[in-house]
Order: sequence, then C-alpha cells, then structure tokens
Amino acid sequence: MPTVSVSHVSKAFGKVRAVNDVSFDVYPGEIFGLLGPNGAGKTTTIRMMLDIFRPESGQVSIFDGPLDEDKKNRIGYLPEERGLYKDLKLEPALVFLATLKGLDETTARRRLEDWLHRFDLYDHRQKKIQELSRGMQQKAQIIVTLLHEPDLIVVDEPFSGLDPVNTRLVKNIIEEQREAGKTIVMSTHQMYQVEALCNRIVLINEGRTVLYGQVEQIKRDFAGNAVVLEGQGDFTNIPGVLETRQHNGEWHLTLEPGSGPQDVFRTLAGREGIKIERFEIAEPSLDDIFISVVQGGDTEAADA
Amino acid sequence: MHKLWLVAKHEYLKMVRRRSFWLGTLGVPLLIVVVMAVSIAVAVGGGDGKPLGYVDQAGLLADEIYPPDKGDDFSTMLAFPDEAAARAALENGDIQAFYIVPQDYMQSLQMTLYYWDDPPGEGPRDDFDDFMRANLASNLPGDVRQRVLEGIDLTMRSADGRREAVGGNLINFFMPFVAGMFFVFSVMASAGYLLQAVTDEKENRTVEIIFTSLTPEQIIGGKAVGLISVALSQLLVWVLTVVLGLIIGARFVELLRAIEVPWDFVLVVAVYFLPAYALIAGMMTAIGGMVTDMQQGRQISGVLNMLFVLPFFFTAMAFADPNSPILVALTLFPTTAFVTITLRWGATVIPAWQLILSWLLLVASAVLSVWASARVFRVGMLRYGQRLDFRAAFKVIRGR
Repeated sequence: MPTVSVSHVSKAFGKVRAVNDVSFDVYPGEIFGLLGPNGAGKTTTIRMMLDIFRPESGQVSIFDGPLDEDKKNRIGYLPEERGLYKDLKLEPALVFLATLKGLDETTARRRLEDWLHRFDLYDHRQKKIQELSRGMQQKAQIIVTLLHEPDLIVVDEPFSGLDPVNTRLVKNIIEEQREAGKTIVMSTHQMYQVEALCNRIVLINEGRTVLYGQVEQIKRDFAGNAVVLEGQGDFTNIPGVLETRQHNGEWHLTLEPGSGPQDVFRTLAGREGIKIERFEIAEPSLDDIFISVVQGGDTEAADA
Repeated sequence: MHKLWLVAKHEYLKMVRRRSFWLGTLGVPLLIVVVMAVSIAVAVGGGDGKPLGYVDQAGLLADEIYPPDKGDDFSTMLAFPDEAAARAALENGDIQAFYIVPQDYMQSLQMTLYYWDDPPGEGPRDDFDDFMRANLASNLPGDVRQRVLEGIDLTMRSADGRREAVGGNLINFFMPFVAGMFFVFSVMASAGYLLQAVTDEKENRTVEIIFTSLTPEQIIGGKAVGLISVALSQLLVWVLTVVLGLIIGARFVELLRAIEVPWDFVLVVAVYFLPAYALIAGMMTAIGGMVTDMQQGRQISGVLNMLFVLPFFFTAMAFADPNSPILVALTLFPTTAFVTITLRWGATVIPAWQLILSWLLLVASAVLSVWASARVFRVGMLRYGQRLDFRAAFKVIRGR
C-alpha cells in the first residue's frame, strides 16, 4: 500500500495551470524523486499533497486516506522557502515547532540535544536564529523536519545552502531514514543526488507528468539517446543533437528524441575536418534525460 | 484544540518577553500613579494642614458653625478681627491663607483669598465653602438646612425604568467613556499585534511549516487568543492600578468617593468585547495574508482603523446630542458600534433595541470576518513577495 498516492490532481492559479493531471505513488521505505525544471509545478504538487492547497480535481491519499490532524503529526516537511522565527532563540523555536507536531516538551528537548550535537549546533542553541549563518539555519530546519520522527519525510531542495561536509551529512541522514523504513519524497535539481539516492522518480514539466518510474529502468529506456566520442574537429551544431558538452577531452552529445546514434555517426562521417577516435553509446545520466525530456518535449512515460 | 493553545501560549510568551510590552504595561500605571499623586498633592497641599483664616466684615460667621458631617481632616477655621491681624498670622506661618468676607457679601457674593507662596489646595477651599454654607444656612429650618447642605441628589431614570443614573457626579458621567476608550485601544493594539504576528510569519516563511502542522483556523485562533490575552493582561494591570489609585485617592479627594462601578456598562463591554475583537482580528489576519510586508500591512490597517475610531470625531455630539441619527447609525454599524456605545453611555440611556440590534449585527459581521479571513489567509500566506489584491481576495472568499 502506498504511503502517498497522488491521483490525477490539477490546480490553476488564475489563468495559469500550475499542475495538470499529475499522478504518482510513493511506497514505504523508498526515496522518491520529484523532479522538474523551475516553475514545473513541483512545489504546488507538494503543497497539494500536504493539504496546504486543495486540488481542483483529482485525489490525494496519505497513509491510506485523506490527510487529517493525526496524520499531519506523522509528516516532516522541509519546504523550499526556508524560514524560522528569526527573533527567537534556536532551542525554544525548535521545541515549539516540535510540540506542534505532537511531541511533549520534555521529549522534544531530549531529542533536540542529540540532533544539535550531530549538526554541530549545540553551542549555538541559545542564539537568536537571525544570528546564525544561512547554513546553520538550513541545518536547524532539517532538524525541525526530523525531530518528531515522522513516517513520511518531504524535503524540497534539502542540499541547498550546505557545504560539502554537511551535504554528505544530510545525505547520510536521508539514507538512514530510508533504512529505518521511512518514506521520503525528495525534490531537487541536483541530479547526481537523485541518481545516488532515489529508487523511483516522477518528472513534471509544465504541470504534466513526463516521466515516471524506476531510475534504472528509465536510464535503460533512454540509453541510445546520448553518445560519447573522442576525436579531433568541431563537434558542435550537429543535426539531431540537442546538447553538446566537452569534458576531459571527451565529447558528450545528448540526442534529440527520434534521432539515433547511427544518424549522428553518419552525419559526422560526412563532415570534413573531423577525425573520430572513439564513438560509443553512453548510458545517459539523469541530467541528460532531464535535459532531453524537458528541452525535447518528450512525453514518453515509463511504467512504475 | 490542544494545538490552538500551544500557538496561543507561544504568541503570549513571545509578546510578554518584549521590552516594549513592559514599558507599555508599567508605563501607564506609573503615569496613573503620578497623576493621582499630583491630584492628591494639589488637593491636600498648599498648607500642610494649617488652619484657614477669615475676616468676617459681613458678620455672617459670628457663630462659627461647622458642617455637621465634617470629617477629622476638615480644616480648622480661625477668625481674625481685621485684615492686618490676619496678614500678620499669615506672615508668621500660623495659617495657610485667609479669606476676606466683605461687608456687601450678600449682595456681591464676592470674597477675596490671600495666601503667601502657594494657594491652598482644593480640599481646604472646599472646606471653607462648606463652612460658609453651614453658617449661611444656620437660620433655616432643620430639614431645609439639611437639604441645602447636602445639595441636590438627582437620579436620571429612563422612561421604561430599565436604567437609571445618579447624577451630580461628573466622574460617573465620564468614566464609561474613559474606560471604554482604554478597552477599545487595547482591542486595537492587540489586533495590531496580530497583524504583525501574521505578517512576520509570512515574511520569515515559517508559515509553510506551520501549515503542515495546523489548520488555518488553529493558527488564527491561537494567535488571536494569545494576543488578546496579552492585551487583557495589560488591561488587568492598568485596572488594578486605577482601582488602587482610586481607593487611595478617595481618602484625599472627595470627588473620587462618589465613584460607583457602572455594572451595566461593564456587562455591555463584556458582551461586545469578543465580537468586536473577532471582527477586527479577522480583518487584520486577512490583511496580513494579503500583503507582502509589515509596511504595506500598516498602510492598509491604518485606513481600516479609521472605521473603528470614527465615532471619536463625534465626541462633542455624543455629549450634546447623544441620540442624534448619526450616533444611532454609528451604534448600529458593526465597526463603530463598540466605540459609539462607550461614548453615548454616560450621556444617555441607549434604547434596548439599539443595543440588541447592534450586537447582532456585530456578531454576524465578526463571524463573516473570521470565516473570510481564514480563506484569504490560506491562499495569501504562501504568496511570498506577492500581494494578493482585493479583487483576487474577493474571488478567494467566494471560493473561485
């Protein structure tokens, strides 16, 4: 039984249709990637999931039914728009937010001490939040998300504003939560993090679902949509190629939908001043797939 | 419900930990204490309890009759044969001042008071008035004399017998007005705090986390309860100070002894208080949800506040013609009802139908205000950096 089931939800703001018939399920013990370019409708989808916005059509089911007061206590949410009470001291602010999630003050304080130590914030607990650095505030907000030990964790851009050390720390914590059987919905633009962490993804573009399924399956489906080559000459402006990148003497070509490696190879072979030393079909990264789908308008969807 | 109280407690503690709260809470009582102290000093000062002298050229005070109900602190009166003797006693510091009652007093009704540096206070002067009255009335029959000495005891009663007011005391007349003003400003101050709390949460983006823990009704309700508790705490400190001040002041100032608690007015304030607060709180919450920052919020709320304080512009009319159609209309209009009633209370007997109708209209508009504000709040609060204009807010309220 899915922890989250979003079924054909739609939402418009005035004349702008932010989300249009989006569906996906998220299961216990998985990290689910909610992806899409800026303005695609990810945050609106999350807000509908969490009953902050009401969908105009479609249904959302959380823990096998509509969201109610008790279920809210089982959800931890790290919104993209970070914010805490700036004029309050760190410890009381976090304790207050934890009590709103059903924790009693004593338990909240006890758990908070461990988290503050883990995030290296213990010595700053009596400082006003506005006196903390942006990174520290970000860590404090992650603590708010996890302090009440939620069963469903929704994190929107969890790594933004963090240095590499803390990025690794947060990544480890997310994996720990998965191992503890928690359901995690993660929205991020950092595709390498999605590849490293997520089991399944949904990609939303212009309010619609354009990709949905297992990360590995999607990568297999998109194999052949990118080639790697080495050689000499100009490998830009090739018909059928969506994007060209050069890295460490290697050219990485993302192909347009409908364009195959053979077509590209033939085009290159016909060009003057080109010398190909290596040409191989690349397993596409999620980055490539993201660009290919978003820029190429591909609406092919993989089954879960 | 538990979460609503958590929010209320949070807002309450946040406010009372601010320095500005303590400045406001203790500053007003301090001011009251200073005013009372000055009043008492004026009342009893200027003579340090020394006797008052008089030179009776009219021969009216020969028997030296003191009022029958004079208290222990009544000033001692010393007669002097002529002005020179009285002046010598004044220079010598034996008396604090002396009156000359001229020969033609009964025709001119004029007297002269001589003092050294400071004139005698209100208390000794009142004592001399009473002393004069007692002596002038000494030849009248006993019951007439008593009436003259006690003065008129006027009772104003409405035709339906529903209310009566004992007149002859200006303090009882003005007290509902002053108390009402304090109450109204407390309500408006706490509504201002509410606007700030809502706008702060929008500005600092905490609202999105809060929304996943609480319903908009719990958020608004908790904030409203917490912040009105702040205002009530402040009011309680002020009222206690005033009561204490009046008890102490009444020992020195006779006027204060006649103050009576207008219980019917207290009841009306209690009944009007919650819906009036809910009405303005709903409006402030909606504004907080619509604007992008506190500055915008203040601009709009400033205009809205005018809707509540408008009756103060009719204060003179409230005393001169308290039942004029304008004031009746303001009594019935929800935003102006509370203030108008406090203005008219001391000056007239407000008909029961006006009180009932105005209360019903106020309650209905308060319910509408809270309901609409919850809808606007839900949508507007997540529009970071964007203002929800009135047309859009109206659409939200209509559920479009």
